[in-house]
Amino acid sequence: MLEALKEAAVGSVMSVKQIAIIVIPIMVAMEFLKDMGILDRIADLLSPLVRVLGMRKESAFALVIGIIIGLSYGAGVILREAKENQLSKKDLYLITYFLVAAHAVFEDTAIFAALGVSAALLLSTRLLVAAMFTFLASKLIKEEIEKEVNL
Amino acid sequence: MALPSGSVSFNTLKRGLISGLDVTWQLAKIMVPVYFIVTFLKHTPIIGLVAKLFAPLMGVFGLPGEAAIVLVLGNLVNLYAAVGAIVSLSLSLKEIAILAIMLSFCHSLPVETALAKKIGLSAVSVIAVRIGLAILSGIAFNFLL
Repeated sequence: MLEALKEAAVGSVMSVKQIAIIVIPIMVAMEFLKDMGILDRIADLLSPLVRVLGMRKESAFALVIGIIIGLSYGAGVILREAKENQLSKKDLYLITYFLVAAHAVFEDTAIFAALGVSAALLLSTRLLVAAMFTFLASKLIKEEIEKEVNL
Repeated sequence: MALPSGSVSFNTLKRGLISGLDVTWQLAKIMVPVYFIVTFLKHTPIIGLVAKLFAPLMGVFGLPGEAAIVLVLGNLVNLYAAVGAIVSLSLSLKEIAILAIMLSFCHSLPVETALAKKIGLSAVSVIAVRIGLAILSGIAFNFLL
């Protein structure tokens, strides 16, 4: 019993330390990316790409914020962008479907990378699958939804 | 846009450190208790029962039965709880990679489904999509890695 306690105490503290060493630098790097305006530039670069996924290019900002920062902050941005840029219901649904599959990707990937899993493999699989699913959904979601913009 | 751009300062570093420490704290707060509970379970027959019960289901993904604990915690609580269980169980790197991709697509269902509902998607379809992606990616990783 005492041995189990010791095992848990040592093991859990070591694991937290191992993860902190990876996660803290990544969160610092993310703040730099934000302040250097790189997130906005990524959104600009991606705007032609989001059209391939069946969304209007105005969706890019909300999508990039959600992918990088996360769903809870992303949801606020999505709702605000929808009002300001008049995103259609279809755009909203597609952004959200993409984001439920892939959000806060750097934080999540950092946590698993700290356990030894390849960050590149996790990140690329997640983004690729989310994009493929969103493309599929854009073909399935009825066009009528596109016309309703009553939020 | 809400984000300030083009101005890197000492505050950038400060905010980064604070958010990094915040993630670490959120993680520690949940991971440490989970680690204690799972380590305790490992010294009881309960873990063997769980392993036996879920072995057929988890076998589909090339995972041992006790990995079910990781998936349940990740989906009902959050990723931090799942990580606590992963590090206290002795899993191979391949098994951790399979759990990581499955959990990446599908985690924290109570909180995140509520957010998706707020935007207007149906809870059932969001959960179905996420569980579907988790199952497919788990099988694919087990096959490919």
